[in-house]
Amino acid sequence: MNTYVLSKDHLNKLAQELLTSGYKVISPSKDGRRFVSISSIDDLVISPNLKPSAVSMKEFFFPKTETLFYYKRSKDEYDLIDAAEENHPQIIFGAKPCDASAIPIVSKVFNWDYKDEFFNKKVENTIIVGLACKFADENCFCTSVGLSPISEKGSDLFMIPLSDNNFACKVITEKGEEFVSNHSSIFTETIDEKSINTNDIKIPEKRFDSKEVKAWLDKNFNHHLWDELGENCLGCAQCAFACPTCHCFDIVDEECNHTCGRRAKNWDACQFEIFTKHASGHNPRNEQDKRYRQRISHKFKYYTDKFDEILCTGCGRCTRGCPVLTDIGIILEDINQLAKESISNN
Amino acid sequence: MKQLIDISKELFESKKVGYIIGYAEDKFKRVKPFVAHSSSDAERFVFSNYSVNNLAVYLTRLLKPKESKIGIVAKGCDIKSIIALIQENQIKREDVIIIGVNCNGVVNQIDEQFSKENTAIKCKYCQVRTPAHYDYLVGEIKDVDLPEDKNFAIMQKLESMNAEERWNFWEAEFEKCVKCYACRQVCPLCYCEQCIVDKSMPRWIDSSATVKGNFAWNMIRAFHLSGRCIGCNECERACPADIPLSLLNRKMGMVAMNEFNYRHGTDINQPTLIGNYNVNDKEDFIM
Repeated sequence: MNTYVLSKDHLNKLAQELLTSGYKVISPSKDGRRFVSISSIDDLVISPNLKPSAVSMKEFFFPKTETLFYYKRSKDEYDLIDAAEENHPQIIFGAKPCDASAIPIVSKVFNWDYKDEFFNKKVENTIIVGLACKFADENCFCTSVGLSPISEKGSDLFMIPLSDNNFACKVITEKGEEFVSNHSSIFTETIDEKSINTNDIKIPEKRFDSKEVKAWLDKNFNHHLWDELGENCLGCAQCAFACPTCHCFDIVDEECNHTCGRRAKNWDACQFEIFTKHASGHNPRNEQDKRYRQRISHKFKYYTDKFDEILCTGCGRCTRGCPVLTDIGIILEDINQLAKESISNN
Repeated sequence: MKQLIDISKELFESKKVGYIIGYAEDKFKRVKPFVAHSSSDAERFVFSNYSVNNLAVYLTRLLKPKESKIGIVAKGCDIKSIIALIQENQIKREDVIIIGVNCNGVVNQIDEQFSKENTAIKCKYCQVRTPAHYDYLVGEIKDVDLPEDKNFAIMQKLESMNAEERWNFWEAEFEKCVKCYACRQVCPLCYCEQCIVDKSMPRWIDSSATVKGNFAWNMIRAFHLSGRCIGCNECERACPADIPLSLLNRKMGMVAMNEFNYRHGTDINQPTLIGNYNVNDKEDFIM
């Protein structure tokens, strides 16, 4: 597939064209907190130097609250009404590899024994324009989870900066190819992919070996490390809700009045005490150490066991936003160290 | 720092405390909460302008040691929440040993250098840089440049708005809420065994992050904290959506002060505003 050259003017023109034709155009917000649906190209922010947004872009596939259906109650019966489908085509600009790669990872659980049509429809209707990343702080670890600042995973089109104003735009998927052919007035100039220089994109050093981490997790369901982590963690869901890959949800019925209401799918998180509380009152994860163990184990062991993927893209959002600075990168480095020690002790 | 570590070690060695809640550095030299269980742990204790967390939140989260006390390292503002917890009968004074710290202001953004511009707004009005109440006192007071109160203008603007304009302001802010409840979890005074938002039989407020659910959550929390919030601003700092929660709490605090001449967390023996009825209480501002 081709690689094109796009200037910032091209991108603005493309975004304007898409806005006019009814696309939902999504970009990192100017305050850097999240991704937003923009209504003017003045709000389009495309820069490889941005810090990952505080909250990831997952809400455009897996909204924080989503109606599954509405119900109406008449005398003796309930009528179920399909939630009005929002079939908007959408395009996301400026997705970092640690954002875009989350979509195929999470797709596996949303298409496992049950196919989640809500998630799938949104993914089908979305073009993800990935952007190579030139930001790295001490919280980043994409290279330790099999990704890199130039990973194309999850992107339909992937942009690499050529200069301040120009980008190489690689077509990655057939959906991307179709999109390009539909906007051929923008995608005109091609470039040889081999001529793209990515030397100025610093690839962060690998911080831990995820296989060794998993091997340790396989054997250490009980370990004092969990007690220490549980002691510090305050049990909010900032980490899970900022995370591009956390996908747990709760299902609730909400009344609008006594004759109607809706059933909704809402974000939920394993760090909440009530997350695993049974109707009987019993709670198998009754303490924060058990809940924190779940967070790490789900990402680096259970998901790998089940789907052969790590449920983490190394974006560092959970650490940057944690009110008590629990650093998942440091925890994984520590676990890797424990793994090495246990190997040498055997 | 030596003073803080020496006192902590002495508390462990004399078996007065089971653990001490304090601050330590991680491997990137960032300051974070740390629970020391031994005098060797206590050697890791630090205190600096980056000691932002209000550690009083841990007092109701961690189990009390059986035969000893809980030690806690606390700034003057954090000590106000310890006093508030005592006033509200959540902890007993004799169960805690407070190592008060003279504070020279804390950062607003923890990943940026401490400076006048990067000082928490709450520090501007601080009257307890030297804590008013403690068992031990460590550290030295230095002259500090106080930050600009950027929120004051916003508060004045909010007060000049009509109800509809104010509603629109808060609707836009609450729209960002993801219901992660970080505001609740970091709050030393949000200690309810079961939070109203987690009650489902019956459900009082929508758990969904809709306009209605977000309004209900944030307003209920503001009401529950009125006359109780001591202004540590941990909720605002923890909020991933950057909602200016301190504006609500500060306004409620101002009402408690202006209407009842009450400030929470200042006097261990004073009955709480909500828990105390006085026939002279004003009623004229109630609609």
